[in-house]
Amino acid sequence: MTHKLITFITTAVLFTSAVQAQTGISVEGEVSRPLKLTAADIGRMKNVEVTAADRDGKEHRYSGVPVYEILQQAGVTLGAQLRGENMSKYLLVKSGDGYEVLFSLPELDSTFASRVIILADKMDGQPLPAGKGPFRIVVPGEKKPARWIWEVRSMTVRFAKE
Amino acid sequence: MNKCGYIILLGLAALPFRGSRMAYTTTPFTPEYPAYFGNRINIPANNPLTREGVYLGRLLFYETRLSAGNKISCGSCHQQRLAFTDGKTFSTGVDQVPTDRNAMSLANLLWVRNFFWDGRAGSLEQQVLTPLTAPHEMGQSLETSAQKLKHSTLYPGLFRAAFGNDSISGQQIIQALAQFERTLISAGAPYDRYLAGQYQPDAAAMNGMQLFMRAPDPEKNIRGANCAHCHGGPKLFIETFHNNGLDSLPADPGREKLTGLAADRGRFRVPTLRNIALTAPYMHDGRFRTLQEVLDHYSDHIINSAALSPVLRNTSNEAGGTALKLSSSEKKDIIAFLQLLTDSAFISNPQFSNPFN
Ligand code: HEC
Ligand code: HEC
Repeated sequence: MTHKLITFITTAVLFTSAVQAQTGISVEGEVSRPLKLTAADIGRMKNVEVTAADRDGKEHRYSGVPVYEILQQAGVTLGAQLRGENMSKYLLVKSGDGYEVLFSLPELDSTFASRVIILADKMDGQPLPAGKGPFRIVVPGEKKPARWIWEVRSMTVRFAKE
Repeated sequence: MNKCGYIILLGLAALPFRGSRMAYTTTPFTPEYPAYFGNRINIPANNPLTREGVYLGRLLFYETRLSAGNKISCGSCHQQRLAFTDGKTFSTGVDQVPTDRNAMSLANLLWVRNFFWDGRAGSLEQQVLTPLTAPHEMGQSLETSAQKLKHSTLYPGLFRAAFGNDSISGQQIIQALAQFERTLISAGAPYDRYLAGQYQPDAAAMNGMQLFMRAPDPEKNIRGANCAHCHGGPKLFIETFHNNGLDSLPADPGREKLTGLAADRGRFRVPTLRNIALTAPYMHDGRFRTLQEVLDHYSDHIINSAALSPVLRNTSNEAGGTALKLSSSEKKDIIAFLQLLTDSAFISNPQFSNPFN
C-alpha cells in the first residue's frame, strides 16, 4: 500500500512537471508517432483559410492547419489506409476546460470529405479572443458550432470499443 | 470442552477462510438510476460493487475509529441531512485546523471522473486517501486504521464477507468506502418527477427552468441565464472546469496548481446543482451564504480576468451588455427552479444513514 502510494505520488509529481513544461497540443492514442506540438510547430505546417459563421451568425475568416495534416504527421490511418477496422476509429478532441468532442476519421479525411476542418489560430487575421485560444477547431458548414471546441489541448485517436 | 480443544475447533472452522483460494461468495450490487443519467459510470474492474462491500463501506463511512483519537468520521463533514455537506464555510478535522476548501456534496459520484473542486483525483479510490490521512481531516495512516479495525469485534467478519479474508488492509478500507459512495444516487427530486411527466411545477419554477436552460439573446428578445451551459443535463453538471468570475486574483488557484497553466487560474470543477438548496454555503470557499447571493453574483458581479470562462463573457440580457442582468423576479424564479432539485428521499434513505445511531 505504502509502496503504491509512493508510486502514485511520484507519478503525480512527474505528471505535473511534464504538463508545466508544455502548453501546446498532444496527439496520442492510435497513432504511430505521438506528437507534442508547440505553437511554433503548428506555425510551420500547411496553412489554410476557411470562412464560417460562429454562434453570432456572422461569417468570419479563420486560418490554421487542416486537422488532416496533423493526423497525417502523427501517422494516423488515413487515405488508402482508412478502410476495414480503421473505419471504427474516432478522434476525441479535448479542451483545457475539460469539454470533449468527437469526430469520425472520414469526416477529417480529404479523400472522403470536401469540407476542411481546421485547427484555427487566427480569426479575421487576429489571434483568437481571450479564453478561446490559442487553438480552436472550426467546422465550416456546421449549423451549430458546438464542435468548434476552443482551447484545444489534446487530440486522441481511439477505436470505438463496442 | 476444554479450552485447548475449543481453540482447535475454532481454528478448523476458520481454515476455509485462510489463504487466497478460499471459497467465499458475494452478492453483486446493481446501482439503479434513470436512463436519462446515461451509462458513463465509473466502476474499476478490480472493485465491483457487492452488497457486502457496500454495507461495509457504509459502516466505515460513519466509523470514527478511522480518525486519529476516534474523533470524527466521513459523516462529520458529509452529513446526509445536508446532502452530505456540513453547512460550514470550511470544515474542521481532528486537529481543529480548518480545511482549505468547502466540503462537497456527495451525490451521483458514480458519474464523476475527476474528484475534488480542482479535479485532482482520478477515482474515488484515489480520492479517499486524502480525507483518511490528511492532518486537517481524519489524520490517521491506513496502517493504523487497519490495525484498529482488526482489533475490533465488529469488523473482521465484515471484511471476510466483503473480501474473502479478514486480514483487513488499507486497500480494502479504501475499496469498501468507494463502493458505498458509488451507491449515493440522487434521482428522486420533483425535477425527476417533472422529467418523467408526473409533476407540474408552478409558473415561477417553470419560468426559472426556462431561464436556467436558455442563453440570453436580446436581439431576438430571448431572456436567459445560461446556467445549463455548465450545470446542464439531468445530472445538473457537465464535467468541465471553469473560472466563474469570483475573483480577478484568486487566493486559491484551483486547477492552475495542477497544470501550471495561466489559463487554468481560478478554474474549478462545475459541481452538480442537485440538492443545492441544502448545501449552503456555496462555491469552493463557501463565500456565498444563500442562493440569492449566488444569483446576484452571476447576474451582476462576474469579475473579469484572463482566465474567466468565455461562456460568462459578454453574455447579457441587455443588447451590447457585459453582465447577465437578471431582474429580481427572474432571480427568484431561478431559485424556485433550484428548489425542485431537492431530493428528500435521498436525505432520508435508510441505506445511506448512520448505522451506529
Ligand atoms: C474534515 C472534513 C472532512 C472529512 C472528515 C471528510 N471530508 Fe470529504 N471533503 C471535504 C472537503 C473540504 C472536500 C473538498 C476538498 C477539495 O476539493 O480540496 C471534500 C471532498 C470529498 C469528495 C469529492 C467529491 C467530488 O465531487 O469530487 C469525496 C468523494 C469525499 N470528500 C469523500 C469523503 C470520504 C469518503 C471521507 C471519509 C473517509 C471524507 N470525505 C471525509 C471535507 C471532509
Ligand atoms: C461557465 C460555466 C458556468 C455557468 C454558465 C454557471 N456556472 Fe455555476 N458554477 C460553475 C463553477 C465552475 C462553479 C464552482 C466554482 C467555484 O467553486 O469556484 C459553480 C458553482 C455554482 C454554485 C455553487 C455550487 C456549490 O456546491 O457550492 C451554484 C449554486 C451555481 N454555480 C449556480 C449557477 C447558476 C444559477 C447559474 C446560472 C445563472 C450558473 N451557476 C452558471 C460554472 C458555471
